[in-house]
Amino acid sequence: MNDDVLRTLREARPAELDPDVPVDARVRQMELARAMAAGPGPDGARTRKAGRRRVRPVWGIGLSAAVAAGVLAAVIVVPSGDDGAGTPRAGHGAGQLLDAKTVLLTAAEKADGRTDTMRAYWHTVTISSHTHTVGQGDGRYSVTVRERHETWTPGDPGGKVYGREQYLGAKPATAADEAAWRRAGSPGTFELRIPISPGSKITKPYRAKLAPASQQPPKVSVSPLVDGDKVFWLGRNVTMRQLRSLPSDPKRLKAELIRWYEGHDTESDRPMGAAEWLYRVASGMVMSMPVPPEVRAAGFRMLAGLPGVRSAGRVTDPQGRAGDAIAVDDTTPGGVIRDQMIIDLASGTALARGNVMVKAVAGSDVPTGRTMSSEVVLTAEWTDSAPR
Amino acid sequence: MADEDHEERRFTAIYDECRQRVWAYAVSRAGRQAADEVVSETFAIAWRRLADVPDPALPWLLGVARNVLRDGHRAEVRRESFAAELGRWTARPAGDIAEDVAERLAVIRAMAALPDGDREILILVAWQGLTPRDAARVVGCSPAALRVRLHRARRRLARAAEGTEAPGGRPAAETGQAGAGQLRTGQAVTRRQVATINEEMS
Repeated sequence: MNDDVLRTLREARPAELDPDVPVDARVRQMELARAMAAGPGPDGARTRKAGRRRVRPVWGIGLSAAVAAGVLAAVIVVPSGDDGAGTPRAGHGAGQLLDAKTVLLTAAEKADGRTDTMRAYWHTVTISSHTHTVGQGDGRYSVTVRERHETWTPGDPGGKVYGREQYLGAKPATAADEAAWRRAGSPGTFELRIPISPGSKITKPYRAKLAPASQQPPKVSVSPLVDGDKVFWLGRNVTMRQLRSLPSDPKRLKAELIRWYEGHDTESDRPMGAAEWLYRVASGMVMSMPVPPEVRAAGFRMLAGLPGVRSAGRVTDPQGRAGDAIAVDDTTPGGVIRDQMIIDLASGTALARGNVMVKAVAGSDVPTGRTMSSEVVLTAEWTDSAPR
Repeated sequence: MADEDHEERRFTAIYDECRQRVWAYAVSRAGRQAADEVVSETFAIAWRRLADVPDPALPWLLGVARNVLRDGHRAEVRRESFAAELGRWTARPAGDIAEDVAERLAVIRAMAALPDGDREILILVAWQGLTPRDAARVVGCSPAALRVRLHRARRRLARAAEGTEAPGGRPAAETGQAGAGQLRTGQAVTRRQVATINEEMS
């Protein structure tokens, strides 16, 4: 009898508590980074040079520095939307498309002509969005959750990183979603289910409030740099000095970056080809890292030479700004996902990047054509004004 | 550098092997709101004290997670969060359900009505699959004491499961409160044992 009840209890374990369920790759990376960044390291390592530890800051895709406060926001990263980077614009026929190489080399020319002067802080303002499906059966619709991230990264080692996170709320992703939302009684909050790993049936609940009703104050954070001097992740953690002294020759830049390639994804241990890995790392660099203009130009030129980088046409970013998109397609268990970057040729800057499901596998929750997530850069510049 | 790489590799391997188990333990003790935080804190401690982490690491990690939970999350908050989890786990599926499903729901509800100490041991043994020796390490008592406590917990679970097998079962709020009264005794016993065992072990 006693054994029976114990066996029943064993069988009654909720599926989500199964230890064999894989950890979400991003969660894994963030938790590992956070653990290893939190303390001085193993007791035995304290005597060694702290700066040589290779700790990955919270984001692999390069937008943010190693800010612990970003962790919570990043946990809700996953899925999808139709508002995002990459909605093809009507009225632009195929005849007007520039090929990827032309786009990138043009951007490089523009970037090369810019000047920059280092100041106290590298200041970035970005808006991220993720789209989720709500509800059941025919009543299902999609909502997009947006957040604004502002970061001040110190130019000098030993300084502090300041962050300001503003939750912008959720809203129906498209007009059709809005109609479905009205049919559902126009709810003011959304009970989202977020897969604990990509494509997983097991989900965590997350409650999102309708925008703009959710006027929550921004969350402000201050944290020391990882290891005292690491500012961004570029295949590995790098210091501001390392970022500023990267090669301005595309071949040498590529050689420098590829040193840190270990055969797998930037976000997980999933095998990833060198070209795709370089694309991930270098696109993060050109988009929002404080590299000198000639290094940014070298980044664009290096991307132009990578196999698999193609044009994704003339598109508008989630802020409505038009640009030319380049992209790399990645075949994942959930389908083919396009990692695209939208470039403004007039200024030689990257406006946004996003992940678009271009070919969903059968039974996927994410429909083909949806922008699953996006990140828009509103500001990326040096400033002397310290955050309040 | 080679040593640092070795430490990182070892830590990453421990994380990959144990992370979901630590998370599952925290969820089943205090609900998912607390779980992510507990996991984060537990592995931060494990990294700082990597030289102390034994192999296998799981019992040690669960012991750390247990302390993190106890120190950082008030008992009543834990209980409420757990009651919320329970509500989700036992929400009845639509339509008719098979007999074995009903039986499983009944046993989960029954577990909720047990004293906290009983519930903890049952979770470690039945859901985490720990041996009595490893479970003893987590809660800080001797393996012999653990076996006795497991035996009693199992008996109380069987009794409670029979009692709640009636259709409907108990509402989650009520089971939460029932647990509340009994928790204090459970904890007091545990603390005394921890003190004794810690002396034994050091």
